[in-house]
Amino acid sequence: MGFDLNSFLAFIIFGVTIGVVYGIVALGISLIYSGLDIVHFAHGEMYMFGAFFGLVLADNVGLPYPVALVGAMIITAIVGMSVERVFYRRLTRAGGGYTVAGMGMIICGFGMSVAMVNVAYFIWGAEAEPFRANLDYIPRLQFPGDIEVPESYVLTAIISVILMIGLHYFLRYTKPGLAVRAVAHNKDIAYLMGINVPLMISLIFGVACALAAAAGVLIGPMQSVQVEMGYLMLMKAFAAAVVGGFGSLPGAIIGGIMVGVFENLGAAYISASHKDIYAFLLLILVLMVKPSGLFGVEAKVKA
Amino acid sequence: MLQVNDVHAGYGNLKILRGVDMSISDGGIVTLLGGNGTGKSTLLKAISGLIPLMKGQITFDGVDISNLKPHERVRLGIVQVTQAKEAYPAMSVEENLVLGAYTRKDREATKADLERVYDFFPVLRERRKQMSGTLSGGEVQMLVIGRGMMAKPKMLMLDEPSAALAPKVVLEIFANINRIAKSGVTILVVEQNVRMALILAQYGYIIRDGIILIEGIADKLIKDPSVKESFLGGSVADVSRGLNNK
Repeated sequence: MGFDLNSFLAFIIFGVTIGVVYGIVALGISLIYSGLDIVHFAHGEMYMFGAFFGLVLADNVGLPYPVALVGAMIITAIVGMSVERVFYRRLTRAGGGYTVAGMGMIICGFGMSVAMVNVAYFIWGAEAEPFRANLDYIPRLQFPGDIEVPESYVLTAIISVILMIGLHYFLRYTKPGLAVRAVAHNKDIAYLMGINVPLMISLIFGVACALAAAAGVLIGPMQSVQVEMGYLMLMKAFAAAVVGGFGSLPGAIIGGIMVGVFENLGAAYISASHKDIYAFLLLILVLMVKPSGLFGVEAKVKA
Repeated sequence: MLQVNDVHAGYGNLKILRGVDMSISDGGIVTLLGGNGTGKSTLLKAISGLIPLMKGQITFDGVDISNLKPHERVRLGIVQVTQAKEAYPAMSVEENLVLGAYTRKDREATKADLERVYDFFPVLRERRKQMSGTLSGGEVQMLVIGRGMMAKPKMLMLDEPSAALAPKVVLEIFANINRIAKSGVTILVVEQNVRMALILAQYGYIIRDGIILIEGIADKLIKDPSVKESFLGGSVADVSRGLNNK
C-alpha cells in the first residue's frame, strides 16, 4: 500500500477533531489542578455523566442537541460542585483555606471515580447506548480529494472552539475570571483582596466539570455512550495535560490535539488494534525530551 | 477603631501569640515592631483572618470580627498588604490594582482611585501593562501598597514595607505611607527597621515571644533605654551605628 496524501490528511483532520475533545477534558483537569492543587481522578466520570445527561436530554426528553449540550453542562457542573463541596473540601480544608491535600485527596478521587461508575450502572445499566442526535442542519465539510468530514465532527470542532474562546474570555476579561486566576495563584492573597475563595473554588470545579460534560456530549454521536467510557478518556486527557505541561491551559489544548493526531496516525499506519497505546507512547516521548511538558513551567513549589 | 483582646493564635498546635492586647484608634500610623519569629506577621494574619483565633477577641468599629472570614473583613475595611514578593507575577500591574478593588461596586470612584494610586506611584502608571513579575523589588512594594489602597480601606496593614529595599526607595515608600495616612486611612505597619518606623509612626508596640512587651508614643519609644535594651539589642544598634559612620 503506497502512501496516500488524502487519507493522511483525513487522519490528521479526524485526529485534530477528537484531539480538541481530549483537550477540553484536559483543560478541566488543568483548571482544577492549578486552582485547587488537586489532581482530580474522577474527572473521567464527570465526562461520562455529562454524556449520559446529554443522551437523556436529547433522546428521552427530546430537546434539540445544542440545548441538551448546555443542559448537560449545567447539570454536570452542579453534580461536580456538590461532590467537591460535600467530599473533597473536607479533605482539603485546613485552617480555613485550601491547602495541599496530598494522598488522602488522591484516594478520595479514585474512590469517587469507582462510586460514580457504580451509580451510573445502577441508573443506566451496562449497555452501550447509541446517541442519536439530529444534526442535519450542520453541513458536512467537503475537503479537496474526497475527504468528507461528518456533521458530528464539524459540530465538535465548532463547539470546542467556542468553549475555548469562552473560557479564555472569562479568565482574561471578566472580574470572576480575574478572581479565579488570583485563587489559582495564591489563595491567601486572594482572600486578602476580598475574594470569596471557597465560592471561587466551587466555580472552578463547576466550570471544569461542565467542560468534561461538553466533551461527553460531543463524543456521544461519534461513539456510543456507556458507563466505562470515563476511564480511557481520563487517561488520554491526563496524557494530553502532561504533554502540554500540567496546569497550563493552552498546553492542555495543544496536548489534546497532539494526542488525537498521534493516535489516529498510529492506528492508521502502525496497528489499529493498539489505538489506545499511542497516547502514552507520545507521553513518554515528550517527557523524555521535556519533563515539564511542552508548555510547562518548572514544578509548582508550595511553601 | 481596632481592639485586640487577649488574642492567642498560631499554626496547628504551635501557639505563637500568647495573649496580645492592642488598641488602635482612628487615624494616624501605628507601628508594630519585633525581631524575626516574634509573632508580628502572625498577629497581622490573625487580624486579617487568615488564621483562626485560639482564644480572645478582635473587634473593629465595635463589631466582633473574630469569626469572620478574611474576605468579609476586607468588606468592613480591614485590608492587609502582604509582603512585596506576593504580587501576582503573571498579571499585569493594572490587573493587580483592579483586583485590589474586587469588593467594590462603585466604578467611577474606583477609577478615580486608580488614578490616585498612579499619582502616588508614577512608576506604576508607566508600567501598567507590564507583567508584575518583571518589576523591581521597590516597584512591587509600591504595587502591593497601591493594590491595598484600591480596596478603599479604613485600616491598612502593611507587612514590612521596607524589607530588602534600598534606603532611597524605603524613604519614598514611607513618604507615601504618610500621604495615605493623611488622607484619613488608619495604618498599622509592621517593621524591623525600628528607627525609621518610629519616626514615621505616632504610636508603637513592641512584640516579643508572642506578647506585647512595651507600648507607647513613638517619640518616647525612640529614647526609651529599655526599648534599646530589650528589642534593638545593644549589638545590633552598635552595628548599625558603625555602618552609618562609614
